[in-house]
Amino acid sequence: MFEIFWNMMKEEWRIHSSIFGNFMFALFPIVLLFFSFAGSLVIPIFIEILPLKQVILIAHYSFVLLGLSVGSFGLLGREAMNRRFGHASLIAYSSRNLPISDKRILLNFYVKDIVYYFLLWILPFVFGFAIASQIISVDISYALLFLITLTLSFLIGLSISFFLSTVYVHSLKLLIAIILSLITLNTFFTIYLKIDILALLPPLVFFYNRSVFQVFLSLLIIFVLSGLSILFMKVEYTEKKRRFKDRLEDLSNRFKFSNYSVFIAKDFLDLDRSEGGVGKIIFSFLFPIAIIWVMLYFFLKFVPVNYLIIFSILLGVISSSVYNWLTEFDLFTSYSFLPVKVSTVMKSKIHSYAMINLVSIFILFLLAIWRNELNYFAPALLTLISISFYTLSITIYLTGLYPNVLLYNAKIFLIYVISISPILLVMIFLSMLDPSILFISLTLLLPSFHILRKSYEKWEEWEQPSF
Amino acid sequence: MENIIEVRNLVKKFGDLTAVNIDSLKIRRGELFGLLGPNGSGKTTTVKLLTGQIRPTKGDAKVLGISILKDPIKIRELVGIIPEQENPPSFLTAEEYLYFVAKIRKLDNIRKKCEEWFKFLEFEDQRDVLCKDLSRGTRQKLMFAQAFIHEPTLAFIDEPLINLDPIIQRKVKDYLMEFVKKGGTIFFSTHVLEIAEEICTTIGIIDKGKIIYKGPIKELKKRRQHLEQFFIKLVKES
Ligand SMILES: Nc1ncnc2c1ncn2[C@@H]1O[C@H](COP(=O)(O)OP(=O)(O)O)[C@@H](O)[C@H]1O
Ligand SMILES: [Mg+2]
Repeated sequence: MFEIFWNMMKEEWRIHSSIFGNFMFALFPIVLLFFSFAGSLVIPIFIEILPLKQVILIAHYSFVLLGLSVGSFGLLGREAMNRRFGHASLIAYSSRNLPISDKRILLNFYVKDIVYYFLLWILPFVFGFAIASQIISVDISYALLFLITLTLSFLIGLSISFFLSTVYVHSLKLLIAIILSLITLNTFFTIYLKIDILALLPPLVFFYNRSVFQVFLSLLIIFVLSGLSILFMKVEYTEKKRRFKDRLEDLSNRFKFSNYSVFIAKDFLDLDRSEGGVGKIIFSFLFPIAIIWVMLYFFLKFVPVNYLIIFSILLGVISSSVYNWLTEFDLFTSYSFLPVKVSTVMKSKIHSYAMINLVSIFILFLLAIWRNELNYFAPALLTLISISFYTLSITIYLTGLYPNVLLYNAKIFLIYVISISPILLVMIFLSMLDPSILFISLTLLLPSFHILRKSYEKWEEWEQPSF
Repeated sequence: MENIIEVRNLVKKFGDLTAVNIDSLKIRRGELFGLLGPNGSGKTTTVKLLTGQIRPTKGDAKVLGISILKDPIKIRELVGIIPEQENPPSFLTAEEYLYFVAKIRKLDNIRKKCEEWFKFLEFEDQRDVLCKDLSRGTRQKLMFAQAFIHEPTLAFIDEPLINLDPIIQRKVKDYLMEFVKKGGTIFFSTHVLEIAEEICTTIGIIDKGKIIYKGPIKELKKRRQHLEQFFIKLVKES
């Protein structure tokens, strides 16, 4: 049992480190540690504007969110690994050849994810805080407490997303039903019973009252949800031949307005037919949006900024993750023997990206109506488009067609954060002065176009790897 | 333009390793040129260099009169390539993939052309299967169709045909021999000597990145020399 697990860990490490070398990959947690350290240092300033309680709440939900996205990444990660290494090389698929049950393999896979992300994310984060705690004179025992509660929060997020993805594999309707009833329940609690359901997260409660019962409750949630997922997990073997009706021509005719119609049609088919289907986007895209929506709700009680504008800024950043999906399913090596340039593939991805991001615009529009802030819709929309496009151009410049791989490179990740975060801060600051000022966010489009043009040159020169 | 391919001092290094180092190589119209060599001798790298998929460390080559440095895309527009690893991308079905390639190559009458290839290579029943789920043999058929669908005058074929069943293999060999008879040119890289002996008009032997022999296959046959013995002797000497 342990051997399988250990081999999976090695496999995961090998996959990542073979791509940028052990050293750069090992640097990723260190960058994270640094950020957490720096972030913790400004807590004393931060709590001037935001009550400490909210900061702690946000920290915990960030880790729930991390768990959620890791879980949904798991869905996709397997897909990505298949593509890179073929089914045969993956231990997760070896139950076909070896006398081991799939459930056991999946359990191992699950535990591997936990250990892996614990080492890569949680530990560096808490460690950064622990060091900073000495400077801002916070008792170090809080670091230990964080280690426990953040880990639990992460695990809750992870098991929720495992559970929901298992539900999704069985029935999309059931998934929608579950999500809708959760929303209804939440509304019922907050509006009628006036109970703040977010504050009930067991690890968060434990943070304040240290009652063992809350730990027990957390573990119960984790074990029940992940137990159910493993029990009902469907492992799809691709030994059977999947057959589909020919849809490429019809679809590409629908995208005639773009020069890249056939590429766009292919991107859509990829998203639709790959493991998890379009539902993946629900996990990786709508989930973070929902959570940010809720967190903003708390945050903005204390800060005088316009809800719609801030939301559009964050939405812009999140929506750029759509690019990661779009580049997930093909390697340039499958085009390299055709008369296709790297920049052609990039441009086609940008077109697909724009198309999918109509969803973001729609979400923003709904929100504007719901909050009765249609008067701010125009600046918010421009902000969304500019930020989304700017983030996209930075992503493309730094990672080319391989964001899912190269963003884990510590140096690249650092440059990514440094190029994006100041812009966000400036935008938020400006929006505090006057939301309509954000019309000037359009000026961001200029550098974005420039960066894109540079990216085409840069990546055309680069010899395409075959990972 | 007699020389369809013309190489001068072409070098490709990967770090310290010199994968390809070809002083001179000329291939004429109508040749079915077989590049033979042991594993790792630089065949695939040569094909990738000549089709502009990777950049040489030094030197240049002309393919159909076009410099591989100056206009690699133009070269790939004109030639057909069956790559070594036949991995059609993503989640398209066989038929969609062929349509996709034809669309990239801006062809007309795409449906009809696809139809003909499915018939010729006898895999009509597999056309709606995802490329990922095709057997290796069927995937090779698909890659073969993909390389010839635009009726190129020059094709590069890297380690092909091994997974095809005997009947299709026969068909494909005949197709290639017919192709060069009609004035086409084929650059065929393989380590399977029997196939080369059977269909090639010229062979080149590559070892450690260097071409150590080039000549018409007839000469070997005249000398009643078996390709296999000749090959082993040459590689041992080099
Ligand atoms: N991208 C690469 N990076 C480093 N070494 C490579 C790369 N591609 C090929 N090689 C090396 O170059 C040599 C020639 O490889 P290749 O052209 O694939 O040989 P062949 O096709 O004859 O088997 C081998 O030693 C191989 O390991
Ligand atoms: Mg080879």
